[in-house]
Amino acid sequence: MNVKRILAALAAAAFAAAVGPVRAAEGVKLDDIEVNLTDVASLQSGARTFVNYCLNCHSASLVRYSALRQLDLTDEQIKDNLMFTAEKIGMPMDIAMRPRDAKAWFATVPPDLSVIARARGADWLYTYLRTFYRDASTPTGWNNPVYTSPVMPHVLWKLQGEQVLKEVPATTRDGRPVVDEHGQPRKLAKLELAAPGRQSTAEYDKTAYDLVNFLVWMGEPNQLERKRLGIWVLFGLTVLVFLTYFLKLVYWKNVH
Amino acid sequence: MSNPSEATLPPGAGGGDDVDETRRKLLLATCIAGGAASGAAAWPFLASMEPSERAKALGAPVEADISALAPGEQMIVEWQGKPVWVVRRTQEMLASLKKDEARLADPSSRRSDQPEYAQNEWRAREDHKDLLVVVGICTHLGCSPTSKFAPGDPSMGADWLGGFLCPCHGSKFDLAGRVYANFPAPDNLPIPRYKFLSDAKVLIGDDKA
Amino acid sequence: MANGTTGNAWALRLFEWVDSRFPLSALWKEHLSEYYAPKNFNFWYYFGSLSLLVLVLQTITGIFLTMNYKPDATLAFASVEYIMREVPWGWLIRYLHSTGASAFFICVYLHMFRALLYGSYRKPRELLWLVGVLIFLSLMAEAFFGYLLPWGQMSYWGAQVIVNLFGAIPFVGEDLAIWIRGDYVVSDATLNRFFALHVAALPLVLVGLVVVHILALHDEHVGSNNPDGIEIKKNKDPVTGIPRDAIPFHPYYTVKDIFGAMVFLLVFSVIVFFAPELGGYFLEHNNFIPADPLKTPSHIAPVWYFTPYYSVLRATTDELKWVIGAAVAVFMLWAYLRYRRRTGGLVIFGFRLSLPTSIGMVLLVIGAVLFWLLVVLEAKVWGVLLMGASVVIFAFLPWLDRSPVKSIRYKGWMYKLALAVFAIAFIVLGYLGMQVPTPTATRIAQVSMIAYFAFFLLMPWYTSIDKTKPPPERLT
Repeated sequence: MNVKRILAALAAAAFAAAVGPVRAAEGVKLDDIEVNLTDVASLQSGARTFVNYCLNCHSASLVRYSALRQLDLTDEQIKDNLMFTAEKIGMPMDIAMRPRDAKAWFATVPPDLSVIARARGADWLYTYLRTFYRDASTPTGWNNPVYTSPVMPHVLWKLQGEQVLKEVPATTRDGRPVVDEHGQPRKLAKLELAAPGRQSTAEYDKTAYDLVNFLVWMGEPNQLERKRLGIWVLFGLTVLVFLTYFLKLVYWKNVH
Repeated sequence: MSNPSEATLPPGAGGGDDVDETRRKLLLATCIAGGAASGAAAWPFLASMEPSERAKALGAPVEADISALAPGEQMIVEWQGKPVWVVRRTQEMLASLKKDEARLADPSSRRSDQPEYAQNEWRAREDHKDLLVVVGICTHLGCSPTSKFAPGDPSMGADWLGGFLCPCHGSKFDLAGRVYANFPAPDNLPIPRYKFLSDAKVLIGDDKA
Repeated sequence: MANGTTGNAWALRLFEWVDSRFPLSALWKEHLSEYYAPKNFNFWYYFGSLSLLVLVLQTITGIFLTMNYKPDATLAFASVEYIMREVPWGWLIRYLHSTGASAFFICVYLHMFRALLYGSYRKPRELLWLVGVLIFLSLMAEAFFGYLLPWGQMSYWGAQVIVNLFGAIPFVGEDLAIWIRGDYVVSDATLNRFFALHVAALPLVLVGLVVVHILALHDEHVGSNNPDGIEIKKNKDPVTGIPRDAIPFHPYYTVKDIFGAMVFLLVFSVIVFFAPELGGYFLEHNNFIPADPLKTPSHIAPVWYFTPYYSVLRATTDELKWVIGAAVAVFMLWAYLRYRRRTGGLVIFGFRLSLPTSIGMVLLVIGAVLFWLLVVLEAKVWGVLLMGASVVIFAFLPWLDRSPVKSIRYKGWMYKLALAVFAIAFIVLGYLGMQVPTPTATRIAQVSMIAYFAFFLLMPWYTSIDKTKPPPERLT
């Protein structure tokens, strides 16, 4: 019966499709990012950016400051550099702004970011942080292609600088203009840096990368331990698979 | 085709001794491996019932401000969900500690639970020996004793020197939290780890330098 | 059998004390060491015991999750993250439970597929099969209630949509939906009662049904099925009375199922430790956003194991209901033509009607009611009815399958084709249920749905005319 083989192939295909990147926004191609949670320096830098720029409107109330000890930081370092509104290190990363006030000031409550990386994905966050552009038509004066008209302004604009969205005519690789089926020239939207910030493009990309790295870590701080443990569990189970297989064979020896 | 009687006999009966031997060894090996795996699998479930990070955070050391505590007064501080008394004892109170030692069950605090620096006649740190820091939970069955500081208090008897009375079963403790003999409570009141951050502030629950 | 050491003698005495007051050794013999099963059980036969293993796993992990979970709309989401971050090993218990939920359905679907392959539902095992259908329905309810508990966006809106489906039932729908929710929209009241149902009520029902299921299987009068679909009890050893092609469940199948369990746990652990979200299929990304009653996500889809049925619901559009009506009319015409030649008829008010007239009258009444329903009921209601029918129709299999043989090994090409088409239709419906509906996708879903129902509804016909092979006398 070939059913078994067909099913196995289907399962493999489904699995391959499942673990690949899944969450591109409608029409916007997301930039790829390779998160690396073993890079502690990157996580620490991301933590600093997070606490300084995000943790005033956005809470991370499901994460305690003491969790930052896992980033090779001492209690002193956490208290001196990363705790601005809490007194005890066991406290969660709450903010002082009440949801009622947020609704009144911003018409929306900035979402808690504890598990944002699990909801949106690293690629989305990385793209989002780097594609803000000036747009006079929105209330904040900023817009973003992956999350249209966010209430959020570009908090990191002083680091990145100001980008604008320019429409350029689309060209093929050898420079000829591309036209659509009506003969109209196709336009592409491109982001251009109109005014530079304190960081170069490469530096800002690194800042954004570190921040996303940190957000991914914050979404599930146990990830590394989970995978480390998994290796041992698989090893143990493989041993058991072997043993039980031979046990089965020995018992079934005389059954034909 | 299988031999019908063979299929229904215990396995290995037709095969001979070496099959039996292999079977027994494999069975033993598998059982040992399986037992180890089961233990490893059970462990996380049992361990999950230990205090979580939140419980540990809530059980963190507590600072108490004793600047307003006058001599003879007692304040209650909550630490790990338990009442901790801080009593600023007067000179008379300290002097009375030596007088009744014959009637105490454990006057040298050999059995009771206290840090090394509190195993002395005042059951307190030497540099602040007037300040008693003690967990206010009776060592019998967990009620919280009431304070009876007045010597000769009529409800306690003419020879009462001052201390604590547990209302549940009548155990009596002196002004260092030491239990009187022949009462239900077996041990002196426990002393938590504590240290003085200054003359006005004491940190209860931690004494690391 | 005591071998003389004191320890063993005491153990034996304790055993005998219990055994003379409780049928311990009798149960052991009846269900394990002297329960005889065919010797040719293959890969497809692992999934029953694996389903039981997953049930045990879900129960244990569920108990430990309940120690820390808070069934309150303001606390639920945070309590799940509390378990993930702050309860020692909480993350592992959570992932075991979330992966276990999907694994349960994988095992149960494959277990059901085995029945379709080897005719396990055939007489005299109809009741066993029906209990299985009840287990399947209970499992779906259990999963549905459980999914609300994390109180994410998908939890909330998935529950909202499905409970609203009950609201589509004519006359009683609205009140029914309010009664289920305990409120006008899905709210804290709903969460609390779904928690009670998920943690207490349905697990008890499931365990009870599984016990009945196994007892029905072990009943001596239900014969014994196997991949060859032949009855091994017809060929017994004259001396022992044991079927010649049988082996005792213990130790043969206990040892084989333990091996199967190890392989299963290996695959299971790969997912739990390395890909617990499985790309968003086992743990949906949108569910990491706390439930917001004022903001519907742009794309609501149920968890993968419900998507085939969700597809059926969505594919039932207005034009499709006329197709259904037409199909039913054709069927009724066929039934009339097929059965009118028989003798005997109805007696109404003392008048004896001939059989053709009787059948004609009955069908006419049914047809009129159906036509009225088609006109009156919206496509939405038909969608709900068809979705329900697509689950319940499994129950009718024992009576739809008219093949002279039980196992697919000896059935003709028609059944094999039908089963393949059914499996593909099921997978296609499942896939489409996860996607955003487009006109093309809806068409494909409709075609798949028709194929799905055709597998069942045409079965009496194609299994009767299919050219089967004679099954063997002894197991191969």
